[in-house]
Amino acid sequence: MSSISSISSSTPEFESPSRGQLARYHLRRNPLVTLGLIVAILWILIAFMAPAVAPVEPLKQDLVNRLSAPGELFFMGSDELGRDIFSRVLWGSRITIPAGLAVIIIGSTLGVIIGAVAGYAGGLVDELLMRLTELFMAFPFIILAMAVTAALGPDIRNAVLALSAVWWPRYARILRGLVLEVKSQEFVEAAHSAGAGGIYVLFRTILPNCIAPAVILATLDIGTAVISFAALSFIGLGPEPSSPEWGRMVSIGIDFFDQWWMWLFPGLAIASLVMAFNFIGDGLRDILDPRLRGE
Amino acid sequence: MSFIRYFVRRLLLVIPILLGITLVAFLIANAIPADPIVANLPPNALNDEDTIAAFRKKWGLDKPLHEQYLTYLGNLLQGDLGVSIKWRKPVSEDIAKRLPATIELATLGIMYGIVLGVGLGLVSAIWKDSWADYIARVIALIGVSFPVFLIALIFLNVFYAQLSIAAGPGRLHVLLRPPPTVTGMYTIDALLNGDWKTFGNALSHLILPALTLALYISGIISRITRSSLLEVLNQDYMRTARAKGLRERTVIGFHGMRNSLIPVVTVIGLSYGNLLVGSILIESIFAYPGIGFYMFRASTSQDFPAIMGVSLLFAFIYVGVNFVVDILYFFLDPRIRVA
Repeated sequence: MSSISSISSSTPEFESPSRGQLARYHLRRNPLVTLGLIVAILWILIAFMAPAVAPVEPLKQDLVNRLSAPGELFFMGSDELGRDIFSRVLWGSRITIPAGLAVIIIGSTLGVIIGAVAGYAGGLVDELLMRLTELFMAFPFIILAMAVTAALGPDIRNAVLALSAVWWPRYARILRGLVLEVKSQEFVEAAHSAGAGGIYVLFRTILPNCIAPAVILATLDIGTAVISFAALSFIGLGPEPSSPEWGRMVSIGIDFFDQWWMWLFPGLAIASLVMAFNFIGDGLRDILDPRLRGE
Repeated sequence: MSFIRYFVRRLLLVIPILLGITLVAFLIANAIPADPIVANLPPNALNDEDTIAAFRKKWGLDKPLHEQYLTYLGNLLQGDLGVSIKWRKPVSEDIAKRLPATIELATLGIMYGIVLGVGLGLVSAIWKDSWADYIARVIALIGVSFPVFLIALIFLNVFYAQLSIAAGPGRLHVLLRPPPTVTGMYTIDALLNGDWKTFGNALSHLILPALTLALYISGIISRITRSSLLEVLNQDYMRTARAKGLRERTVIGFHGMRNSLIPVVTVIGLSYGNLLVGSILIESIFAYPGIGFYMFRASTSQDFPAIMGVSLLFAFIYVGVNFVVDILYFFLDPRIRVA
């Protein structure tokens, strides 16, 4: 039996503008997206080029000039061991950006697979996987990540693993719903009757039709992942203390409250990166979810 | 559906979740660390055979995993969360001592946060695309994009260190003695004692951290309020209400707000998780001696039993708050009563 959605989706669209036209229209209407894109790209470039553009090594100490205020000697000041804050902030992008992206990629992949299998298999498998998903959602997720990192032992890899391990439930939920919807459509039936096996149908026929919302959610989530990673490392469950990681630098800076440059600049680095990703994500949502445009 | 039936049904749904949480916490504590003994005992106790044997016996570590879990549950039911490595005291005792401080801060924080968040959301939905909308949205964006520890440091630097218009770190001025303990919350205890000076001082110490917390959670609340109200404003019954000749204030305040409140209440429940995480980051900066500060110091010194104890407590609080939110739906959403 054909569902209503498959009928309406086969209705030909009338005179829709091209994708490029649409993109230009929305970018003009939403200048913050452009700003977000510029800042994000800038940070990614910095992450690639930090070794070349940073004035000094991030770990190089200059004990004579420790705790110098921002000035000619150190553009953003120096820390308690005379290390150059500016260089450390630039180098920090090489930790935070990959960590945030890794959390999103691992977490969303996990969620997509779990949700897809639950939706496709149905029955007991679905029931079990979804109860598990609900259970994970009952925890405030960063706190769960803190516990897992503490159990694994604090370092960058474990912080990323722990965050990924708690990141998947929302993706699983969304994907399950989408797979349930797509599963009943005719082309899936056609694939089955052509003799395709279950795994093939799920991953080659159904999933490609459900992946777009997960990608949008993932984009929206990058900012949150970055800020969560920074929070973990702020409380000492991330890289080791000497590491030029932003959250860790802020947390060490608390003890040097009057040397405001020690905590302000790494903090602003986090804020600018997260804000850039949030601008992009917000814009994307405005463009792709017309309900929220409120026109 | 009667309220009692609804309440009991919701309550029954909470029990498996709480059990599941204890199971997850148990697995994290006992299955992930290479050696639970090394993770849970102070380093110098590791040479002491008696201590290790006692620990093993207490948590049933020589038994199979499922029996260990039952032992863990049994200990948990007696309020035993293990012994902190750093402070050498039962974790539950330390938590109980610090909990009132955090409740005091979180309550004030969420009150400010709701006022700020719903207010900003209202302003930006009613005057959509105006400069007021723009400013409200930028404030909301700062709330979700700035790491809360940075906001806390900036507030402390500007309002305390530079302008000296707010009280600094801690719960009370060093020269003041805490009020006699009744609830453990300094403001309430001071009031009960009729001690206005202590009350004022305790309150002034709460303002900055509570405002930081409020800004942190108001970002999410205002976004949902805005989009939910915008959706409601376009509904037919809003046009009907206006056509009836009702004043704009009544249209938005009564018909609009009431119908857009449900997602807002949901998100307030969910943002309680952020509030708890926020308390860890904020209390650590304001040296505010609550659960959050305890958790911060526990995790910087890798005090595993303390970290697990606080995590478990926070998960329980989170589930409890969302249970309350579920109960609130009954009053907010008439559809539940009919169903």
